[in-house]
Amino acid sequence: MFTGENIVQTVVGLLHSLYGMVGLSSFQGILDPIVAAVVMFHFIAVFVMFLVWMERKVSAHMQSRIGPNRVGVFGLLQTLADAIKLTIKEDVKPVKRDKIPYYIAPIIAFVATFMGMVVIPFDKGMVVQDLNIGLLYIIAITSFTVIAILTAGWSSNNKFALLGGFRSAAQIVSYEVPLVLSLVPIIMITGKLSLGAIVAYQQQQGYWFVIPQAIAFLIFITSATAEANRAPFDIPEAESELIGGFHTEYSGVKFAMFFLGEYIAVVVSSAVASTVFLGGWLPFPFMGFLHLPGFVWFMAKLLLVIYLIMAFRWTFPRLRVDQLMDFGWKVLIPISIINILVTGFWILLVAKGA
Amino acid sequence: MGIFRYFKNVVMGLYNLCVGLSITTKYFFKKTTTQQYPEERLPLPERSRSMIKLIYDGEKDQFNCVACMMCAKACPNSCIKLEGVRDEGGKRRMTTFKLDFSTCIFCGYCVEACGFDALTFVSEEYENSVYKRGSLLQDENAMKWARPAHLAPKTEEPAAAAAPAGA
Amino acid sequence: MTDLLLSQIKVSGESQFGTDEYVVNLGPQHPATHGVLRLIVKLDGETVKETIPVLGYLHRSIEKICENRTYPQGITYTDRVDYVSAMSVNLAWALAAERLMGLEAPARANWLRMIFVELQRLASHLLWMGAFAGDIGALTPFLYGLRERERILDLFEMTCGQRLTYNYIRIGGVMIDILPEFVPKCRAFLDYFEPKIDEYEGLLTYNPIFLQRTKGVGVITPEMGINNGVCGPSLRGSGISCDVRKQQPYLYYDQVKFKECLETDGDCWSRYKVRMNELRESVSIIRQCLDRLEPGPIETKLPPVLKGPLGGEIYSRIESSRGEMGIYLVGDGTPKPYKSKFRCASFSNTYVLDQLTRGWKVADIMAVLGSLDMIVPEVDR
Repeated sequence: MFTGENIVQTVVGLLHSLYGMVGLSSFQGILDPIVAAVVMFHFIAVFVMFLVWMERKVSAHMQSRIGPNRVGVFGLLQTLADAIKLTIKEDVKPVKRDKIPYYIAPIIAFVATFMGMVVIPFDKGMVVQDLNIGLLYIIAITSFTVIAILTAGWSSNNKFALLGGFRSAAQIVSYEVPLVLSLVPIIMITGKLSLGAIVAYQQQQGYWFVIPQAIAFLIFITSATAEANRAPFDIPEAESELIGGFHTEYSGVKFAMFFLGEYIAVVVSSAVASTVFLGGWLPFPFMGFLHLPGFVWFMAKLLLVIYLIMAFRWTFPRLRVDQLMDFGWKVLIPISIINILVTGFWILLVAKGA
Repeated sequence: MGIFRYFKNVVMGLYNLCVGLSITTKYFFKKTTTQQYPEERLPLPERSRSMIKLIYDGEKDQFNCVACMMCAKACPNSCIKLEGVRDEGGKRRMTTFKLDFSTCIFCGYCVEACGFDALTFVSEEYENSVYKRGSLLQDENAMKWARPAHLAPKTEEPAAAAAPAGA
Repeated sequence: MTDLLLSQIKVSGESQFGTDEYVVNLGPQHPATHGVLRLIVKLDGETVKETIPVLGYLHRSIEKICENRTYPQGITYTDRVDYVSAMSVNLAWALAAERLMGLEAPARANWLRMIFVELQRLASHLLWMGAFAGDIGALTPFLYGLRERERILDLFEMTCGQRLTYNYIRIGGVMIDILPEFVPKCRAFLDYFEPKIDEYEGLLTYNPIFLQRTKGVGVITPEMGINNGVCGPSLRGSGISCDVRKQQPYLYYDQVKFKECLETDGDCWSRYKVRMNELRESVSIIRQCLDRLEPGPIETKLPPVLKGPLGGEIYSRIESSRGEMGIYLVGDGTPKPYKSKFRCASFSNTYVLDQLTRGWKVADIMAVLGSLDMIVPEVDR
């Protein structure tokens, strides 16, 4: 049958025979993850380009207009055209910049978000490396973006970029707490951190985690959009405000890396949300008879969550910076703590500590 | 109590956010209202003040304009310069007519002031961009337009009979 | 002149915690709307200490030019004074000239004028709603507002031929009669549009983020409003009844039934609510005017040359979309006015911007500016 597991087994078998031909069979343990990481890298790069197109089309159709439709069929090559434009742009740099941090910051922003994709299971067995501390790893990795933003703001030698960097860093740090707290009930219920194991638990119990933990799902999605500096939390890069944000002094490819890093953060957060709350590669309820491979369901859920995050951007106004912090600390954190308490009581009393 | 108001605010806020999301999602699935210019050119209304043309009478092989200067006097920006000459039969005819479209504001006073049906707006010609500013000073040859038969002006009717009542 | 201004601004020294104040230019080119308005903002961290608007980037000396144009030619310039609601300014000039010369337009012309001015009010408020929401951060209502506005402009184009600078309302009447298909199309548009107002309200009015950004922000108390010359929907948001259509009814506004929309809080949200309610009232006014439209002449008998009487002067005001639009004309016996002056609502509303933003954050400047509905060509003329 055509499932993800079968595909993975066939491909791995082919790969091992390839090693055998070249004579590198002894290095199998090292080469396998490297090849998987390279495949994942290419997939994500193409997927992000598709996402940029999707954002423009989604925003356009929400606003009763057609998005890009001239460059390529349905405008699909529009992102390629934009990427080419960004690469051939003049590299404008401030003279008094701090050279090494200036070049490192976009690299950190890009690489750190990328690393989160290592543990996301597209199907049973279709992960780069199913770490048994998967969730902890992802939460730790997403904190790297703060370093990138502060470095970018500082090295630009521009007081507005610095202020934008500070605001953004404060925002990201304060929204990490509800992000983690909303995942804690899941960890309490399943007792595992590995993402593959969480999906297996959902398969076993028969329903997805979004049903008992809907509040946690909403808090997670909200914190994820705040982590990615997207509207309605995009004060650091707001276009109609006076301060340009941490990426003011970046142009060309470096700006493209920040831009793409933001989209990859959205992908990682949506992937975690669809794995943990929406059942990962499990089929939709009542549609299991279709016998589609698991990654089709996973991609569908991923796109659904990404659509939701995009709809947030184009529907809601922007929060002012102090209101943003108020919302994070005074609304999201208390509610997520109450959620943890209720889940704890439920586990102790109802599920008898299972 | 403060705590109940806190939760009520949260729930009401969530509900209103969902109302907003439902509106944008509804429009996501509706047809777009974009006109795909230049492949799709919708016709402009008949009274559109698009481009001013001098009417050329094919039968009499001359312009209708008699150089009475009413249009030049009516123009707020003094865009029109014209000259006329009296021919043998004692009738005035126009010799040169220059309209500077770079200062024209398309207010329509010249067309209204003309009592000889010599100037008109042609609604189909609205793509009037040029590459050199000098091309905007058009003379009577550039503005020549022969009126098609189906657009001949109707005779004047009293306004009371022409204007329909209410609905 | 602007260099002088920047150097005149005294930046105070260290505050309690040793932070410095700095002066920032919200330059003439805005990413969002409002045209070429320049604001010099003195900031202390994120808090605004003072806002100084610098005007004049769109000054075209319309009032001086009108001294060299005849009264009918002046109408073409009034289109450009406030190009977002051009019919209102056309009407203001036409009424002023008619009162100066002792003319009166016939009944059908007045009903038609009312219909078009109220349609123009709809179009102007839709554009305002889009710009206001865009400043706050919601970019979608702008597109929705423009979509409905396109339909209104189609109605205008069907009648007078232009979509922005109409030159339709003339001294003594209107330019040309409406086509027979105008009335059913207008009614169809109103039926289509009225549920949309509820949709826009659903998108914005009780949205918690929008409420947080606009409730309590930029409060104009009634005394502050009257002392600083605020007019129009901005003052009605503070509870003061100042609608010229009710105070000094012109055309046939005393014969149609409509409510004056008032709110009591005086913050940005109240001004937003006032304008959304005005959308509904305008729809009702247009329906009543369409019902009472009767055949008749559309222009009175005018003398061949319109001359303002020697020694005559008139100040005539109407309620445009932004507030009180007044025109002051002085006649001197010639076909051209001796002096013309436009009293524009946006210009007098600008004065209160400084007091409203002191002590608030930078993001609130955009909210307040958007809620005052400033149109820069009206400010600068």
